[in-house]
Amino acid sequence: MKTPISYFVVLSAVLFAIGSVGVLVRKNALVIFMSVELQLNAVNLALVAFSRLHGNLNGQVLAFFSMVVAAAEVVVGLAIIVNVYRRMHTANVDDASLLRW
Amino acid sequence: MLRSVWLVPALPLAGAAINLFAGKRLGRWAGILASGLMVVAFALALGVLADLLKLPGNERLVVRHLWDWISVGSFRVMADLRVDPLSVTMMLVVTGIGAVIHVYSIGYMDGDPRYGRFFSYMNLFCFFMLTLVLAQNFLLLYLGWEGVGLCSYLLIGFWFERPLAASAAKKAFVVTRIGDTFMLVGIALVFLRLGSLDFSAVLVNPYLRLGPLGPVEPSGVYTIIALLLFAGAVGKSAQVPLHTWLPDAMEGPSPVSALIHAATMVTAGVYLVARTHVFFEISGVALTVVLVIGLVTAVYAATCALGQDDLKRVLAYSTISQLGYMFFALGLKAYAAALFLLVTHAFYKALLFLSAGSVMHGLGGETDLKRMGALRRAMPFTAAMFGVGALAIAGVPPLSGYFAKDQILEVANRSGYLIAWLVALAGAFLSALYISRLMFLAFFGQDRTERAAHESPPVMTVPLALLAVGAVFGGVLGLSVTSGRLQGFLAPVLGELTEGAGGLPTAVLSVISVLAALAGIAVGWLVYGSGRVDWVALRVRFAGVHEFLAHGWYVDDVYSTSLVAPGKAGAAFLASAVDQRVIDGSVNGVGQLFQWAASRGRRLQTGLVRNYGLAFLVGVVLIFVYVGVRLS
Repeated sequence: MKTPISYFVVLSAVLFAIGSVGVLVRKNALVIFMSVELQLNAVNLALVAFSRLHGNLNGQVLAFFSMVVAAAEVVVGLAIIVNVYRRMHTANVDDASLLRW
Repeated sequence: MLRSVWLVPALPLAGAAINLFAGKRLGRWAGILASGLMVVAFALALGVLADLLKLPGNERLVVRHLWDWISVGSFRVMADLRVDPLSVTMMLVVTGIGAVIHVYSIGYMDGDPRYGRFFSYMNLFCFFMLTLVLAQNFLLLYLGWEGVGLCSYLLIGFWFERPLAASAAKKAFVVTRIGDTFMLVGIALVFLRLGSLDFSAVLVNPYLRLGPLGPVEPSGVYTIIALLLFAGAVGKSAQVPLHTWLPDAMEGPSPVSALIHAATMVTAGVYLVARTHVFFEISGVALTVVLVIGLVTAVYAATCALGQDDLKRVLAYSTISQLGYMFFALGLKAYAAALFLLVTHAFYKALLFLSAGSVMHGLGGETDLKRMGALRRAMPFTAAMFGVGALAIAGVPPLSGYFAKDQILEVANRSGYLIAWLVALAGAFLSALYISRLMFLAFFGQDRTERAAHESPPVMTVPLALLAVGAVFGGVLGLSVTSGRLQGFLAPVLGELTEGAGGLPTAVLSVISVLAALAGIAVGWLVYGSGRVDWVALRVRFAGVHEFLAHGWYVDDVYSTSLVAPGKAGAAFLASAVDQRVIDGSVNGVGQLFQWAASRGRRLQTGLVRNYGLAFLVGVVLIFVYVGVRLS
């Protein structure tokens, strides 16, 4: 018996909502980053679920794509965060406001 | 030698370039280099003359093609040099007198901090002047025309630390530019209506014209062209009403006054009218205008010269007056007589200016006649040379000025304009009067100098002697108005003078003009030289007349109140009200508007990542809602 598609979609939506709230309310850059990953994985889950529903591999291929891009993004993002931390001795995103008026 | 005529202008150009870039390092050699190049150029010009004389009279026209200057569609202008009797005559004057004045300048400018630059400008002037007289088309002539104007500006303002010199340079430039603008329009009209700028194609009587362009009917356009070109000549040759710059131009060094403002540049207008006399003859009206302007200028400037106290300003007005005589002769179709006066005038006026420079050199720059007198004791040689020049300009036989002026008066008498002859005769009397006044005030009478004068060094006096030889014997070039050597040489270009009917016999005319000259000298001697008349008291009694003449009939004052003052007021209004308020105001207003908008708008950028994230999320949700609504 197959698990109904709605289970996966609801789980995916919940994960995405948790990730979004995490991005919006947390101040530590690393935690925000983790929240972003959570959002990405929520989307990946939805993609794989729909792939199974439709019986083709399009969704899985797209999920792989998104993983690769996420990995690349993490590399860049972490490098920025490390550099900001070295310069300002904080990972708090609110403190990085040099360009503000 | 005719092939290498291009070397004549090229040598001064090379000298100008060398002295401009290396003048400081050359030191005293700068003057020697510049003078040497001018002497070589003069020798080359003599060679060109010799080669030209070998050709038969009617074939004395050689065009030396250098390169294609401008070639745009049907508009083609060549860098061509024209060698014919007229251009060779002018070339010899420019290089010959120029070389002498360059040598003189070695002594006169000695010790000047910008010694090299002076010779650079002088050489550059000679290059442009030679371009002007050798040009084979109007555009090349115009290049030289503007070039000599530039050099005139640079050299009048050579001592630009003096405010008077700086403003005189500016005035000369602006006033001549008025005439030049008319001339440029005239040149454009020549191309528009006649289809070419080349002298050989354009300067042909349209009745006889059977060229590739076909016959062109003479019409009013020739009058307009002739008058526009003449306006350029009026500006350059300081004729009424554009004469006001020349007396002020005396702020420049004396060699500059001699070379540019007596011998060469100011005669460019005479050359232009002589070169384009075909236009003037077709028009007829234009010829009359030339005659009237010339005559008015000749007499007007002679009266002004009587009222001047500045040594060089007397000579400046004298130059204007003599140029007026040249235009008068041109208006009478006596082109060769005008050129003859041009050549002799170049000699004796350069001599007078250089002698004046020698006086200033001896007196430490003094130019006020009231503080001179009895200089013949301290500077006998200069006094003698000045005397030769004065006798020549007064028209005493057998000096060169006598022949030149006498011939013009003779032509005037035969022309049928008896009034014109009488006025010109009065002008001759005035010329003799003002030059003898100058002579007696400066070199005779009581010593009113404030410092001891001294004679100038040989490097300055030898050129004076050379010019004096020319001033004395220049007359042999053209002993008679119809059969003179110079007149015969110029005839292929300027045409034979058609002998007017009637008039007095030549011998009687000569006696009358000599009597006019002697009368002028006699009056001058009586008032300023004899000591029997107190000229200072005379000046006080007729203060009104003296002031009137000293200010040049207040022409300058009329110009400054009627033209210059409104112009300055208008410029000040545009600068303060229009430029600062309207133009600057609108530019600054736009800037302020954006500053204000930015000061409000930047508050949106909080710099808090969460705010951006929230805005992003809200935007995504809104898009999804929109898409969902659209799809369902």
